Amino acid sequence: MIRFEEIEIGYSKPLLFIPSLTLDTGKVYALVGLNGIGKSTFLNSITGQTSLLSGKLFLNQQELQKISKVNLPKLIAYVDSSFTGVEYLTVLDYLALGRSPHINNMGKLNTEDKQVIQEVVRELNLVHLIEKDTSEISDGERQLCAVARAIIQSTPIILLDEPTAFLDYLNRQKLIELLVLIAEKQQKTIILSSHDIDICINNALEFLIVSEKKILKTKVCDKQVVIREMEKNVLKSS
Amino acid sequence: MIKKRIPFILVISLLLVPLSAFIHLSTGEIYVSLNDFFSAIFEFKGNNSTHVLIREFKIPRILIAIVAGGGLALSGMLMQTLFNNPLAGPYVLGINSGASLLVALSLMSGFSFFGSDIGIISAALIGAFLAGILMMAVAQRIHSQISLLLVGLMFGSFTSALVSILESLSGEGALKAYTLWTMGSLQQVEFNQLPLILFIFICGIFLSFILIKPLNMLVIGERSAGLLGLKISQVRFLIMGITALLAGLITAFCGPIAFVGLAVPNLTRILLRTQNHSYLILGNLLFGSIFLLLCDSCIQLFSKQIALPINAFTSIVGAPFVVFILMRKLR
Repeated sequence: MIRFEEIEIGYSKPLLFIPSLTLDTGKVYALVGLNGIGKSTFLNSITGQTSLLSGKLFLNQQELQKISKVNLPKLIAYVDSSFTGVEYLTVLDYLALGRSPHINNMGKLNTEDKQVIQEVVRELNLVHLIEKDTSEISDGERQLCAVARAIIQSTPIILLDEPTAFLDYLNRQKLIELLVLIAEKQQKTIILSSHDIDICINNALEFLIVSEKKILKTKVCDKQVVIREMEKNVLKSS
Repeated sequence: MIKKRIPFILVISLLLVPLSAFIHLSTGEIYVSLNDFFSAIFEFKGNNSTHVLIREFKIPRILIAIVAGGGLALSGMLMQTLFNNPLAGPYVLGINSGASLLVALSLMSGFSFFGSDIGIISAALIGAFLAGILMMAVAQRIHSQISLLLVGLMFGSFTSALVSILESLSGEGALKAYTLWTMGSLQQVEFNQLPLILFIFICGIFLSFILIKPLNMLVIGERSAGLLGLKISQVRFLIMGITALLAGLITAFCGPIAFVGLAVPNLTRILLRTQNHSYLILGNLLFGSIFLLLCDSCIQLFSKQIALPINAFTSIVGAPFVVFILMRKLR
């Protein structure tokens, strides 16, 4: 669960203002909005990468500012869309990094860690990839691996920055279905930013629409409504 | 399959280290048999000139080749992982330049303390560390791999200009001492300095092994590693410290040695095909030692015709290899 109280997000000037907002466990939220509106900044403020200008943010009842840097990765997994692969880094080694918040300083995986990795690899159909080099697989495969790593991290909250950008239609659908299933089954809160409104509507995701320096939480099933909301401040300024 | 291939290569190279040492032993100007070598170690006689030769010249030179090769390769690997840049290394990023500048300052200052062994070593260590801090500050601001190397290059030119000015101001004795130092050589180390060198070297290796987990995390970039709970600033400082310690130590005793720290880590990755640093650390130590032992063997082989500084020789071998990596990676 994520709770926002009177929060201002931004850099020198506030980009977003969130008076009060609660995101529940067991749900997948679709963060939508035009380019440059502050979607990534919003996600970064939840991971603590961008500090809040004012207000309070709670992750599972704990205040974000009071959570130590060591414990934060046990609560939040973040999937960056920018991973382009590293030569000689195998998919398996990459996925194993997802366990790093849970293992000791020597970095050895125990049987439980290995089990978690194996389960996720099976669920996401990555078995044929694990021995491959992360720089030699396709963009879509790499994106799936990044999502897999976040699930392997076993956190109550998962944030994904455009996880479907490089995926084909079939894999997009499969990934969203899987995320919905995982959110329900393991009671996680998942936020994914996306420009693919159709697929979010098809899977009945709840929307977080960013516009006019605000975030609107809504459940809609009409694409036109979402687009109208997104374009609000564009219409006003023109 | 992967699990067996890497240990196999590592074991083979572990066997190649004594073999290279043997080649090194037999390429010297004065022939030394294995028999003599072992009896010099186990039944040392002070009046036996062969024993004295082995003890005073052969053993220090072989050991320092192993330390310098392994240490420079290890510090190069640490820098490449830290900066996420396969072309980083103690030489290109100005760690050697920083050490050289401070050594020049202390040799030419005129105070006898600064010209002593301890003076040169501390000057090299401090210079290496300061240069490392400077490069870290620069790397915070620029993210292009090539730009960072250019900054390192500029820093190198700048320090060598400062050294030239110092040279023109200093007396004959200091100038000679400094010039000899810059030639780079594995012959200047004495037997009684070995314990200190080995101690620092082993500390560097030990600290690197402690950092395996952070190093493995850094492979996917500082930002992602930070989101997985890595304490970036702490790790950055530690890595830079180990690098400066190893590169500074070696620079102090052997003078600047180019390309080992750049070429060997790349060679290690290509041979082992892994980003797991527990293997990479071992691989760099072994390959670096073998590389420098063989380089120095070649120098011994030609020593009757020409006196090649080690720095020149590693550049002759290393530079083309680095160009090969450049062509492969940055087309």
